[in-house]
Amino acid sequence: MSPRKIVNRCMCFSCASLLLVNTVKAQQSTVDSTLLNRVAALEQQVADQKHGESHFMVVGLATFGFVRNKTTFTPDGGPAQISKTNSLGDADRYEFSPMLLWRHGTKWLLEFEPAFDGSSVGVNWANISYFAAPGVTIRAGYFVLPFGIYNKRLAAGWIDKVAPDPVGIDLPGTDFGIGISGGLPLGNMKWSYDVSLTNGLQLLPDGELQNAGVTDNNTNKTVCGRLALLPFSNSSLEIGASGLYGGVADAGSNYHNANTTMYGADLSYVNKMDPFLFNIKGQYSRILVNSQQYMKPTDSSSYSFDNKSTSAFAQISIRPVSASDKLIKNLELAFRYVNYTTPGNSIWGAKYHEEDIGLDYWLNWRSVLKFTYAWSHSLSTANVSAGGTAGTTDMNNIYLQFSIQL
Amino acid sequence: MKANNINRMTWMMIAGTVIVCAVLMNSCMESQKVAGKSGVQLWAENCQRCHNTPSPNTFSHEQWVTIGMHMQTRAQLTEKERDKIVAFLTQ
Repeated sequence: MSPRKIVNRCMCFSCASLLLVNTVKAQQSTVDSTLLNRVAALEQQVADQKHGESHFMVVGLATFGFVRNKTTFTPDGGPAQISKTNSLGDADRYEFSPMLLWRHGTKWLLEFEPAFDGSSVGVNWANISYFAAPGVTIRAGYFVLPFGIYNKRLAAGWIDKVAPDPVGIDLPGTDFGIGISGGLPLGNMKWSYDVSLTNGLQLLPDGELQNAGVTDNNTNKTVCGRLALLPFSNSSLEIGASGLYGGVADAGSNYHNANTTMYGADLSYVNKMDPFLFNIKGQYSRILVNSQQYMKPTDSSSYSFDNKSTSAFAQISIRPVSASDKLIKNLELAFRYVNYTTPGNSIWGAKYHEEDIGLDYWLNWRSVLKFTYAWSHSLSTANVSAGGTAGTTDMNNIYLQFSIQL
Repeated sequence: MKANNINRMTWMMIAGTVIVCAVLMNSCMESQKVAGKSGVQLWAENCQRCHNTPSPNTFSHEQWVTIGMHMQTRAQLTEKERDKIVAFLTQ
């Protein structure tokens, strides 16, 4: 081969090599650019989804059902009067309550739960909590008063084991004010406290108590609190004691220095004994209003009565959580006894007791189908001359209820 | 002499108060048995006091933190219990 040919071939090879290298470089540059663009896009996505200090979410519950009622009223010396109703919507327990939770960091929490009960839209609670220190939470606003365990923990339809609420358990309910609470360890045990200072209750002309509402009815404030001890290290048993004291008279009314004292005790025991999970709950509360002169609506004369009420319930539920059959393990059998006594010789005096037996089917951990049969007997101890009605009332209710927490 | 007695009384009261506070604070310490509990154990023990135990898949990480604070106000959980339960649910 001549030197000229060799030079030509070398030049051709060099040109081809240069062309190939440039092509590869161009392709690599394109790949790098694509990768960089992709990385930039991912970085932007991460930046967009970066968790802020605030977080807002909506949970809540819906309860819907059917109730068949038969009421037999037997007046003293008269024939029995029977009435029957079949109601969709479960007039006693229908509820649609979205709960709004809004926290800022891990120190501030706002809780707001409006509720539609079939006839009106109300508010179950609207309060702000500040988690000041371990075992110290300060709250303000409209909140469930720390008395007993039912109203604060067990009233939600997807938690309650039977369809109706225990009668007479609604006081002291919810109120405006401030409070402090917390849970603390105690060796193998645990204890908790929950104390509030609120507007307080209002004494009605017939001697009953109700929440005062947004506008306070007097300058007094009401102290309410609950202390609880969980003596076992597995938190299976909780024993609580509650108390409340405050003025209840409307400012300028005829009820001088009217005040109420409430005290109560509660118990919760949940334990698994294979294959069953036993759940026992109970609460007792007593309401006292100091001696007052009330006015008869019939002739406007004054009269008095010992204004003391007691309410109590005890319930047990059993669920075979370790059963191998899925249908069986999702069933829960529940029984509740309720006793409620209102002041004798008042317009609303009665001795009431109720038994509920229920069979629940858990569709998942937070939605349940409940079948409850409830029967109750009420003996009137009312003051007839003041407008009360004498007689007995028997009720039989069948509930079919669905409740879900979302 | 009188001033010394008052000072002694004052010191005794302060010492007594400190001892009582120390005993109370110490008694509010958790035992080793309780301190060694895992999040899953606390989740199983505490949630079922009121309702069924929730599935960890129900809510996102951020939502569980919010729910944990809400449940602390409801069930009076201790702060350590809340943190451990939330840590388990967000794994």
